[in-house]
Amino acid sequence: MNLDVKKLFEEPSLIQITTWARGVIENKDARDVVFALANAGSKEGKYVQAWENYVDLPDRVGVPVRAYARISDEPLLSKYVYENEHPDVVVLTNEALVKGNDVLQGMKPGGVLIVNTKRDPEYILKFLKDTTYLGTIGCIDATEVAGHVQTLSGAEGATDASGIGVGVGAVLAGAVVKAKSIVKPENVLSSVQNEEACRYGYDEVRLVTVNTTFPEFKPAPKKPLGPEDLPFAGTVPSVDKENEKRITGNWRSERPVWSKERCTNCLLCWVNCPDSVVVYKTPEAADFTNLKYCKGCGICAEVCPTKAITMVPELDFED
Amino acid sequence: MGKKRLISGVVATAEAVRLADVDVITSFPIRPYTGIMSELARMVADGELDAEFIHADGEHAQLSIVYGASAAGARTFTGSSGVGVTYAMEVYSPISGARLPVHMAIADRTLDPPGDFGSEHTEAESCRDQCWIQGWAATPQEALDLTLLYYRIGEDPRVLLPQYACQDGYFVSHIAGEVEIPDEGQVKEFLPPYKNKHSLNISDPMIIGAQIEPEMGPPLQYQRYIAIQEARKVIAEAYKEFGEIFGRKYSPFVEEYMTDDAEVVIFIQGAHSVTARNVALKLRNHGEKVGVVQLRTLRPFPTEIVRDVLSRFKAVGAVDNSVNYGIAGDGGVLLSEARTALYGLGDKTKTVGFVGGLGGEVITMEEFYKMYAKLKEIAKTGKVERDSYWLPYEL
Repeated sequence: MNLDVKKLFEEPSLIQITTWARGVIENKDARDVVFALANAGSKEGKYVQAWENYVDLPDRVGVPVRAYARISDEPLLSKYVYENEHPDVVVLTNEALVKGNDVLQGMKPGGVLIVNTKRDPEYILKFLKDTTYLGTIGCIDATEVAGHVQTLSGAEGATDASGIGVGVGAVLAGAVVKAKSIVKPENVLSSVQNEEACRYGYDEVRLVTVNTTFPEFKPAPKKPLGPEDLPFAGTVPSVDKENEKRITGNWRSERPVWSKERCTNCLLCWVNCPDSVVVYKTPEAADFTNLKYCKGCGICAEVCPTKAITMVPELDFED
Repeated sequence: MGKKRLISGVVATAEAVRLADVDVITSFPIRPYTGIMSELARMVADGELDAEFIHADGEHAQLSIVYGASAAGARTFTGSSGVGVTYAMEVYSPISGARLPVHMAIADRTLDPPGDFGSEHTEAESCRDQCWIQGWAATPQEALDLTLLYYRIGEDPRVLLPQYACQDGYFVSHIAGEVEIPDEGQVKEFLPPYKNKHSLNISDPMIIGAQIEPEMGPPLQYQRYIAIQEARKVIAEAYKEFGEIFGRKYSPFVEEYMTDDAEVVIFIQGAHSVTARNVALKLRNHGEKVGVVQLRTLRPFPTEIVRDVLSRFKAVGAVDNSVNYGIAGDGGVLLSEARTALYGLGDKTKTVGFVGGLGGEVITMEEFYKMYAKLKEIAKTGKVERDSYWLPYEL
């Protein structure tokens, strides 16, 4: 056989939708976006599937998690995959996800990014490293109108008894079909519980064109790990060293900000931080500079007796 | 040179463990392997062996303890029989995956129901694909020798894999035979101290058996796959050196008996191979060209050697002392693997399976006679009427 394998397995009508969210608190919203769109596709006789990323750690509060949909006019060839490698649409249920996560990775030319945020598209763009293939960005304050629905119903592949599209997910699904005609808006509306929220997303999303021309799309094939890429027998070095492969700073939606003036150096924050982020550097003061592992849990601010620590939205900082 | 004693397989195994100077032993009683542990407990109590002897609360705990002890750099010994072997099943793959050369003696016992303590290879064979070195001793002497050989093979830096040294329950474990017990000096020469590539260390902690992601699965499985392939070379080397030091020469993978001009052979492992040899000898005296091919190493399976050896004969009868309900050909593991090894060579060598000795019943000389008669008929007519026969009902 001498076939062009890449051409042979091409799926030209396949649309890939990826939603990024915060573990536990936004899992449901991420699921709602992909299930609302996939259900709408199904109503139109398209071939669809929807699922949650299996490798992400969905039971950790704040961890970046993903949910996916695949919608196509043709039967799906690549059904059993872990990820959407080349998304046409990326949705963020939380604005801070643009930090520390390569949310546009593998995006197809002319792709769409929808972000749940009060901020302007121009500000969000500052945090995106490579926007070569991004066609459109859309911002919508979904939380303002719908709020997050926190439930484990529907997690781990189970049936969602709480209903699809109750909260933020409905707004974002509406925004997606405004930005890209994947399925008919009326079919998305009839696929969500909260029609009003969905309509709001469709009507109010602020869309900005980022690029209209794109360089040739040549994704590098994924190279599998070899036996030499892993340590002997899969052992992992000491837990008391920093684990560069499990940096948790990108779990953070809010950042602890320390006020030297109010701090009495009681070190309760140092004692209580679950991730050893508060470093006891000098007898005078704790140091909050090691934010690489700060998940933004807010325990330090909670335990501080003098309110020397305040939690500030992560995207207020441009670093 | 060592001294000769009349001892059973369990005592022979315990003697080998003493000579190997193991550090940690974990026990839990079940017939018929228990004698190994009572012998070792006596040795530790009498000061003949300096080892931690831990009585576990079950076989799963036994294996978990030696898993940890081996990771900490200890030479370990454990063992079991029958349902004890299958109860510990969860721990076998983590041990080989962590590349820890834990040594486990299995004196075979039938799986329940209803609690038959006779020997069958079923329980040990059910663990055959967990990346442990595995083979059967057919005499108490072989039980002693296999123990020393397996420590040496498993601890080799090119292998670093655990081992099941198996012996047929009762037949080998309980019937005393003459055993030459080697000198400590000989054993020291043959078996260097255990040193792993990684050992738990308080001043440089690490995690063994951490959770990984699916993409890390293939490379780690491949590391193990390479290790068990590499073991074939190390097994051959170890047996050669064993012969030079102890004077007992074994063929490391398959032992041939009266096969030079044989037309038909029995392919078998473990204690019943001794009976098969005796029958072959009797038939030879009457001019029948029959022989025995004894499989010494089940894992890693010596595919090429089995192919080269078995393809010389007109008909091969694979005797399985185990139940593999619903297996291809309705025989057993040996039949399936012999056929796989012979695949691609055409139909020159006919193969048939015999399932016998179930529940620990004796495979009688009369039964072996019937097997040889069937094989001769197949060799003559060139026709295999059925894939396998359950003894004594179908032959």
